[in-house]
Amino acid sequence: MTLAFIFRTATREAVKVSIAQPVLCLHSGFQLLAADKALLMKLRKNTGYTFINCKKALEKFENDIAQAESWLHEQAQKEGWAKASKLEGRKAKEGLIGLLVGNQTAAMVEVNCETDFVARNEKFQQLVKDVTLATLAHHQNKNQSQTGYVKSVLVGDELNKLTMVEGSSLADHVALTIGRLGENMSLKRAVTLGVPAEWHIGSYVHGNISSQTEVSMGRYGALVIFQGGKDGERDTLGRKLGQHIVGEAPLSLGNMDDLPCGESETRLLPQTFLADPSRTVAQFLKGQQARLLDFVRFQCGETLGE
Amino acid sequence: MAALVGLRACFSALQLTSPSLLHSSFKLCAVPLSRRSFAAEAKKTYSREKPHVNIGTIGHVDHGKTTLTAAITKVLADAGGANYKKYEDIDNAPEEKARGITINASHVEYTTANRHYAHTDCPGHADYVKNMITGTAQMDGCILVVAATDGQMPQTREHLLLARQIGVEHVVVFINKADAVEDKEMLDLVEIEIRELLTEYGYDGENAPVVIGSALCALENKQPELGVNAVMKLLEIVDSYVPLPKRELDKPFLLPIEGVYSIPGRGTVVTGTLERGLIKKGDDCEFVGHNRSSKSVVTGIEMFHKSLDRAEAGDNLGALVRGLKREDVRRGMVMCKPGSIMPHQKVKAQVYVLSKEEGGRHKPFVTNFMPVMFSLTWDMACRVTLPESKEMVMPGEDTSLTLTLRQPMVLEKGQRFTLRDGNRTIGTGLVTDILTLTDEDQCHWG
Repeated sequence: MTLAFIFRTATREAVKVSIAQPVLCLHSGFQLLAADKALLMKLRKNTGYTFINCKKALEKFENDIAQAESWLHEQAQKEGWAKASKLEGRKAKEGLIGLLVGNQTAAMVEVNCETDFVARNEKFQQLVKDVTLATLAHHQNKNQSQTGYVKSVLVGDELNKLTMVEGSSLADHVALTIGRLGENMSLKRAVTLGVPAEWHIGSYVHGNISSQTEVSMGRYGALVIFQGGKDGERDTLGRKLGQHIVGEAPLSLGNMDDLPCGESETRLLPQTFLADPSRTVAQFLKGQQARLLDFVRFQCGETLGE
Repeated sequence: MAALVGLRACFSALQLTSPSLLHSSFKLCAVPLSRRSFAAEAKKTYSREKPHVNIGTIGHVDHGKTTLTAAITKVLADAGGANYKKYEDIDNAPEEKARGITINASHVEYTTANRHYAHTDCPGHADYVKNMITGTAQMDGCILVVAATDGQMPQTREHLLLARQIGVEHVVVFINKADAVEDKEMLDLVEIEIRELLTEYGYDGENAPVVIGSALCALENKQPELGVNAVMKLLEIVDSYVPLPKRELDKPFLLPIEGVYSIPGRGTVVTGTLERGLIKKGDDCEFVGHNRSSKSVVTGIEMFHKSLDRAEAGDNLGALVRGLKREDVRRGMVMCKPGSIMPHQKVKAQVYVLSKEEGGRHKPFVTNFMPVMFSLTWDMACRVTLPESKEMVMPGEDTSLTLTLRQPMVLEKGQRFTLRDGNRTIGTGLVTDILTLTDEDQCHWG
């Protein structure tokens, strides 16, 4: 089938060459020669920029593919900004939560886009990954000397100003991705955590997209900070707690000896534990000799309280 | 009725009154009469003469799906087959409630020379999946819209993946905005590229129909070869390329049993609404479900105490069957054409879990959750097994999962069902695959 396809395209091409040649002689120089079509296809495949731009680039540099490619990359930034300002204001409620736990630190971000089709695309996931890495790097630079518990929340513009590892700002990077995918996107919020040595960070991302990177992404994410726990079981403990927080959406922490008040309980500790409905979270923690100190929960697209 | 009365009053007035009064009394009753006929005209009756097909559009947000839909209605409105809907009238996909589930979708209907179409467009992946699960607008084919200026977008891959997932087998490509591209060779490149992509996702990329045009031109009556003519060509191709769905009447008959009665001196009668197919007197039939199975012959069919020779899908009927005791059959079983449907105990399904706002649970569920499954006229306890990559399912999500029933019941691919827990509906689903039961599953039910 592929063979037949190649043959078909080849013959079509050949026919076009023979037809197009005499016509082209009449046209002025900027008309593409049929032979360049292969180049154009190649450039489009390599870079993924629109046909129109690829064609412009090839015309500009007289079919020098290397120059054309670098020019396209430069141009993409400009076009991205143009597109971004054009699309600004369109509703972006889909997207992904990106989460990364480092050495006694963690970062969680929310990036929005317009449709869940784009959220499933790897280019968008690459953006989420870069944003997460940049946020974590920013946190590590700022809080190197501190040893206590640090929790900082970044919203909108503060996030846009952060710089990526290669030096460009996140806003530029977002604009670039907007140019590529043609949908409005925004960096909604981020939270970074740093904990002292004897504390631990647990995390859970729901609907995790199997990606090869260390950043986990999904529609819900939770970070938990706890103390204690048995050696070797802390990962599972943190994960189970995170899962509970995603599932039950508690609003506050509560106290260890609070009495549960039914189905509508919004304090975390007196809630019935998701993984073991016979106990409350507080009872479960007692069994694990652990103390829960704080938690953060992100749900993609949720409206913020403020 | 009221019209008749009015008419009669008019006649009596004619007879009784003097000629001078005649004119005015005629006028008096003529007004309400004519008004009535106007009212009847405002609501058109749905004509069933053309076969019905469901199609949809998919594509990037800016590539002109809505403009194309508007253009189709405009072109067909000129031919008398649709009401022209402006872009603004279609654009906002309103929230609709189907089986208690909120779906964002816009629906437009139109008629070509050969067929009647329902055209669906949804903004997101999740909406299309909900559509598939609830069956509100199962798509028989779809139009993939790609702008000639951009070519396919990175997310076009996700669009095709979706089409595969929801079982669309026929894709027609419309390359839009051809008026904005001066160089005709560019159109060829876009076409070659999209064909390659279609092939990559398991469609017949080489032979898939591709139409090049401009929906905007069709709307603004410019460049007819790219505008009106291209849209007409697209519709012709959709007419011929997307096959008609198999009609319910052509399928082997299936009667989910609602009640069983024994009538002294005649025998056993089963009642229910015929799900699909035709039943005739003298047909062989089979009863399956609830771990039982028996064969018999239909000796009589009745509807509203009148006997009839054949019943069609949708009829609410009672069927007299030969040599069967009342105890042999019970509600929840089905009467079907022998061998056409089998009971199964384990299935794979695509399920949408209702969010709290839709009346579902506010909590997620995990593997080994045991809801009750309702389908046709039966209900049965079942156990949920989530796929390995998923640890839990949140309300408002759709997921694929495995269901193991306590007892085998009549199930087939494409059958719809509801999951309930206590007094609450927690989700609806669609059977996507039949699985065989392993020994491990068996011991779980003890």
